[in-house]
Amino acid sequence: MLESPYVTQYLTEHFSEADYPTLEGYERRGGYRAARKAITEMAPDEVIETVKTAGLQGRGGAGFSAGLKWSFMPKDDERPKYLVCNADESEPGSFKDRILLERGAHQMLEGILIAAWATGACATFIYIRGEYAYPAVQVERAIAEAYAKGYLGENVMGTGFRHDVQVTRGAGAYICGEETGLLESLEGKKGQPRKKPPFPAQYGAFGMPTTVNNVETFSHVPHIIGKGADWFRGFGTEKSPGTTIFGVSGHVVRPGLYELPLGTPLSEIVFEHAGGIPGGRKVKGVIPGGMSMPILPAGQLDVPMANEFLRERKTMLGTGGVMVMDETTCMVRAASVISYFFRDESCGQCTQCREGTGWMHKIIERIERGAGEEEDIDVLGDVAGKMEAKTICAFADAAAWPIQGLLRHFRDDFVEHVRQRKCPFPGSFEL
Amino acid sequence: MPKITIDGNELEVAEGRTILQALDDAGLLMNGIDIPHYCWHPKLPIDGSCRLCQVEVEGIPKLQIACDTPVRDGMVVHTQNERVKQAREGVMELLLVNHPLDCPICDQAGECKLQDYTYDYGVKASRTKEPRRALKKNVDLGPTIVFDQERCILCRRCVRFCREIPKTGELAIFNRGDHSVIETFPGTPLDNPYSMNVADICPVGALTTKDFRFKIRVWFLEEVPGICTGCSNGCNIHLGVANNKVYRYVPRRNDAVNDTWICDEGRMSYRRIGAPDRLRECAVRDASGRLEPVGLDRAIDAAASRLRRLIDSKGPGVIAGLASAHATNEDLFTFRRFLAALGAETHGVAVVCGEADDLLVKREKAPNAAGAREIGFRDARAVVDRIGSGGIDAVIALGHDALQEGLLSSEEALANLDTVIVLDTHASEFQRVAHVIVPVRHAAEKLGSFVNVARRVQRVVPAVESMGESYSDGEVIAKLGAALGLEGFDGSYDARQVARDLAAANPAFAGIDLDSVGDAGRPLADAAASEAER
Repeated sequence: MLESPYVTQYLTEHFSEADYPTLEGYERRGGYRAARKAITEMAPDEVIETVKTAGLQGRGGAGFSAGLKWSFMPKDDERPKYLVCNADESEPGSFKDRILLERGAHQMLEGILIAAWATGACATFIYIRGEYAYPAVQVERAIAEAYAKGYLGENVMGTGFRHDVQVTRGAGAYICGEETGLLESLEGKKGQPRKKPPFPAQYGAFGMPTTVNNVETFSHVPHIIGKGADWFRGFGTEKSPGTTIFGVSGHVVRPGLYELPLGTPLSEIVFEHAGGIPGGRKVKGVIPGGMSMPILPAGQLDVPMANEFLRERKTMLGTGGVMVMDETTCMVRAASVISYFFRDESCGQCTQCREGTGWMHKIIERIERGAGEEEDIDVLGDVAGKMEAKTICAFADAAAWPIQGLLRHFRDDFVEHVRQRKCPFPGSFEL
Repeated sequence: MPKITIDGNELEVAEGRTILQALDDAGLLMNGIDIPHYCWHPKLPIDGSCRLCQVEVEGIPKLQIACDTPVRDGMVVHTQNERVKQAREGVMELLLVNHPLDCPICDQAGECKLQDYTYDYGVKASRTKEPRRALKKNVDLGPTIVFDQERCILCRRCVRFCREIPKTGELAIFNRGDHSVIETFPGTPLDNPYSMNVADICPVGALTTKDFRFKIRVWFLEEVPGICTGCSNGCNIHLGVANNKVYRYVPRRNDAVNDTWICDEGRMSYRRIGAPDRLRECAVRDASGRLEPVGLDRAIDAAASRLRRLIDSKGPGVIAGLASAHATNEDLFTFRRFLAALGAETHGVAVVCGEADDLLVKREKAPNAAGAREIGFRDARAVVDRIGSGGIDAVIALGHDALQEGLLSSEEALANLDTVIVLDTHASEFQRVAHVIVPVRHAAEKLGSFVNVARRVQRVVPAVESMGESYSDGEVIAKLGAALGLEGFDGSYDARQVARDLAAANPAFAGIDLDSVGDAGRPLADAAASEAER
């Protein structure tokens, strides 16, 4: 069981303390004071303004302003409004939400309460991926405690505000992490993203106005309300304030979680915090934010981990899942693994995604086998281009970008496979 | 009303429509402004998944799908520029990655949107070297439809059709990604009363009807506009004709009547046209009681002399007319005029009734019951009652719909009649008792009009020549009128002229003739007024 990140900050500082996951332990460390303050002392708009001023970006991958998203919820609308907590953490290379669920469920619930007050939501659905059995148990336990204490239910903290929270378990599809795919799944349907508009704020869960936020996004909120927007802006960069939890995996000495300010250089994360590459080998490339984000080559690891800098290198922060590959790694094999995943997980609605993910995987597999031609590399890049920005959801982009990134920085690996008619990296990981 | 500019043409459109819907409303889609599309269908919910209808909208960085992008005032849309063209080529290439490309043995060839759009918008050569998906062929989805999974492009029109139109939901997409397939749920065949429409809306050769597949290549078919005669809804159809034979009915879009659908029973009713029980020659019953084949002139003579004898002995009051709701307005108006000139006051129209549903199928199982009533025919009940009370000696019957339970179901009633003259398309029990039989044309074989249940006048035109000898009912009646020397009958019959006479004589038909009614039909005067009110 994960207990605590190797490097902690405000989000995770108490995670190693045994009583912290309980309501009592959480309150002993100041828990639920921010929620009480929001509900009793602040107008909903004031809460939204504070979160906007704090500059909290969504931590689920897209990095959209959380306060702005909340402000999209209709004000003069008779319909019940809902929040959805996206705990479907399904991005390969990402495992930060798991610890936030296991060790910080009350922190997340407090964030949900504050967001509910701000948006006028009467209920929250926490959608937890099916594989997260233990995190789900922890969340259910925290919810039960909060109900027992009167922090959830008909009369939250005696203020007359009503809010209910319910857990729904996913069944293992990556696409159910996409917010509208999640909503479909939540409603008991096949997880297929909805066309937008209407956006969830107008037509969300069960047709009601809905805001979907990631586990970590909610978890930052009590700290922002409790300590203020300025305090929050003391972490991170001008445009990307706050910390985030980087999940480092792959060829590093100390794989694990690291809560660090946004803007921390990728090289610092890999070489200082995670201890660098084992065996004295050299780094070849690093995926900065979960598998759907384009890879960065060894020469570009000085980049600060914040979207405004990563975008200049044609990649993004994503979910902060840092995947490190050393010099033994065959990038065509990496491409094969990535493209297989997206081929398997495409929901199959849109032509480009359904057919493109399969075609890319077949081409890459053939190149890896040594049966590729140089023209196939161009076709591969072209197929990825055809998939980008043309579909109902961002899945096709998520499938195309990493392949485009690998072709951009490691085209030589592909060419060598074609020239040698075999994989030139016999020591690379097995497929 | 918002104004949008598409490829430089300004267009005023209704509020709340998407680009594709607005073009469809204006009749411009694929008819002046071409935006290829697969998943979008005018009568199904928007899906937005095929991604073929991408267009450039000024001010929006990404290309937008025309089917799901609402129009806004001042919107400027480009449907034909290089960027759009490339996006379309991209989709077309990807749609063909797993397609079997078996056009030479595919029954859809010639009316396949994948084929058409590949020629119009596709890439010139295939770049795929990978094996294609191997899926189920020749899947029996139910009593009417065969499915080829490999040809399916997963546009989901059939899935949405079953969910939204008959609301039976037999079809669904199983699995995901490039292993998605359409299937029926176990133990639930595709057998709703509208099932065959899925073959029409399937843009490719994945869904074909058991009835039509492999009968003929569609490029040999002439598509003749017509009306289904299965019930009083009068669904608009195309008759697929070749070699003087009707091979199929397919629905023809008419938003005022049947949208783009037709029921399976109506679709299959094309078989009645060339059925083995079609009457092919005139016949007169001879002295020995046997039906003797004769020419039309002798049949008319025989009928006229029988009627003349009765008129001379008992007066025209003993002659009754039974009209058919399968006959055209022109036939019926001629018949009505004939009965009036004759002085025969007993007449009525018989209609076979059956089940109805709340979609298209109506209770009255004939295309022109409303027209017959409008022209003045009463219920056939009155005729039957007078026959029963012995007041009738002769019956002139169009069709045999009167031979039903509750009307003339017993032979005895007819056997006592002095004269039975029958004008019919198909053989019936009338064969046993009729003294004169004249074969007449099916709706697919003549010019004329019907009035449907919603009081809309709709036209049929000759699609095929009838196989034997046959005439329009009106033509036969006109000859009979002339043979009897009735006023206003010179033996000629011209459906166009009769329609004009009807329009002049009957205010409901005012202004409607067989040219102005067009392929889409026109409401009767009162129906038009109430439509305008709405």
